[in-house]
Amino acid sequence: MSVSGQEKTGPPPIEQSLVVFDNVSRFYGEVLGVNRVTLSIPPGITSLVGPNGSGKTTLMNLMTGLVRPTRGSIRILGVTPDDPEKLFRLLGYSTQFDSFPKGLTGSQFVYSFLRLFGTSHAECEKQAWKAIERVNLVDAANRKVAGYSKGMRQRIKLAQSIAHDPRVLVLDEPLNGLDPLVRAETIALFRELAAEGRHVIVSSHILHEVDMISDQVILLSNGYVVAEGKISGVRSEISEHPMQVLIRCNKPEALAARVFEQDSVVEARLHADKGGLLIKTRDADRFYRLLNQIALNGIEIESVAPADDNVNSVYEYLIGGEESTK
Amino acid sequence: MMSQYWAQIRAVIRLEMKKTFLAKRGLWVYLLAFAPALMFGAHAFDVMRTRQYQHEVIAGHPVSRNLLDSIKPGMTMDEVQVKLGDPTSRRTVTTRRRTRTWLRYTDGESQYDFTFNDDELERISVHEIASLQEDKLIFATVFQFFFVRLAIFFGCVGIFMNLFRGELIDKSLHFYLLAPIRREVLLAGKYLAGLIATVVIFTTSTALQFWLLVLPYDSASVSQYMQNGGWQHLAAYLGVTALACLGYGSVFLAAGLFFRNPLIPAGIVLVWESANLFLPAALKKISVIFYLQSLCPIVAPPDRDMNPLLALLISSAEPTPAALAVAGLFAVTAVILFFGARKARTLEINYGTD
Repeated sequence: MSVSGQEKTGPPPIEQSLVVFDNVSRFYGEVLGVNRVTLSIPPGITSLVGPNGSGKTTLMNLMTGLVRPTRGSIRILGVTPDDPEKLFRLLGYSTQFDSFPKGLTGSQFVYSFLRLFGTSHAECEKQAWKAIERVNLVDAANRKVAGYSKGMRQRIKLAQSIAHDPRVLVLDEPLNGLDPLVRAETIALFRELAAEGRHVIVSSHILHEVDMISDQVILLSNGYVVAEGKISGVRSEISEHPMQVLIRCNKPEALAARVFEQDSVVEARLHADKGGLLIKTRDADRFYRLLNQIALNGIEIESVAPADDNVNSVYEYLIGGEESTK
Repeated sequence: MMSQYWAQIRAVIRLEMKKTFLAKRGLWVYLLAFAPALMFGAHAFDVMRTRQYQHEVIAGHPVSRNLLDSIKPGMTMDEVQVKLGDPTSRRTVTTRRRTRTWLRYTDGESQYDFTFNDDELERISVHEIASLQEDKLIFATVFQFFFVRLAIFFGCVGIFMNLFRGELIDKSLHFYLLAPIRREVLLAGKYLAGLIATVVIFTTSTALQFWLLVLPYDSASVSQYMQNGGWQHLAAYLGVTALACLGYGSVFLAAGLFFRNPLIPAGIVLVWESANLFLPAALKKISVIFYLQSLCPIVAPPDRDMNPLLALLISSAEPTPAALAVAGLFAVTAVILFFGARKARTLEINYGTD
């Protein structure tokens, strides 16, 4: 599938392929929305993670021009949010607002939105049904949105946001209210869209889901960006918390004795089923190199996996007990 | 580019129309718009019923108008009854000092009430069952003092304020703001949708009122009136209705953008427009009602029961020529919409605080 509006001649200037926040702050009177946010979001799936009031929705509303920054500037693939005519041909936004124009069916909702682009009836019909098929809502498309379940409303909003084939998708809590099957289908759709070279910017508070789907994360707390980048990269930068590695092997006690000879290992704990060992180390790379030598000495290692290389742990380490996700 | 803007405006109008015409919360606008038609309908029904009754009466007691006009004060009751026959109704009140008697006759078009004081005819009152001339004045008064100042005014409050403020309250305005549409184009689309809705509702009511005004009269009288200015009156009333929607619509669309509680500016505008009669000539011109009144075909008579002190405060301004009044209203509308569009450009979606 081609990505609409993409330059055909030569590589675009770097800014034209990024979502850029430059020292952006937004205050609601005395209340802080987000503060001094500087980000460059590349294509792929990017998750905004944070508890209620951390600034996720504000960041998304800033990106889409629904609110204006008090300070700083934003560029979406080189376009400012003050220019809705250009911006919304590049960008689709599925908001968390759960209200719809009254009296419309699902297909009319998507169709009416597309008509606002000034596109012809036939083209709008075609695009609307294509998007509805993509979110797997064809059967319910001719029913009134007012009678939809939460999950169906989420999907019709998603259809609306992808119907015009945007290069940037901004999705506020898009997996909320979806049953497991639809959730899996929707995640697959995000991956498909990201694989096509689009930006898929998702907010979520379900951390294991973020782990599953994200190419990169932006962790937010109290209006500040506390970390950004690939999850593993963010994790390795948190030096005050040793990395945890779970090793499944046939002789965990022997392995414990061997690994304790290493300076970088600060803790080794037998797994409850006695079939493995949980190691805490300050230098994961060195530990993995060493593990190869240990394995040569009669200890059969079944598997080695990082135990806290996920958003949940990263979030816990960075934001700690001061707040929890909703 | 213009063709795209028009396509977008048409898309906005299509979406807004359904909401504006069929919204449950807009039912009171219809009630307000058609209340005068209901009143004129009741009047027409009453006149036709009374006239039918009088015709039935006159069939039993035929009396000509010439004969009725020949009765003069000073005649005795017997003289009157010899000339006219039995009355259609009679009432007598006797006190210690005198006896008063009322006799009523009709020729089918008018009622004649003869008041006797101790058998001598003292007073003759003639009431037409209905007079088109009088009804035209009543129509002009209802049109200017109720229909334009209150019905259209509040109808526009209900419809135009909902276009932006109502959607902010319903948390659905973002639907439009996420489309690649200039805010000015969105404002134009919404304004035109409101204008079409109000013009259709209120001009239909005006036409219906006018039809009910002439309904009880015989075709000859109606035809004579219509050929002698009636059509122009109808056109003027329809035009004033449409212009009122145009002017008030722009005011309340902008109020919905600028104010969180638009009922406050609506109240202020209502007071200003109502006080127009008492404002100095220069200030009169800064109002919608001044231009609309200049365009009304019949000047509504001032309230006879008005406090004399208030009557002293009435100031008169030279009525504006029709072309200037229309141009003035368009200019005022354009200026208000310009500021509305500027506000729309910076409009934010912040439902939590709206």
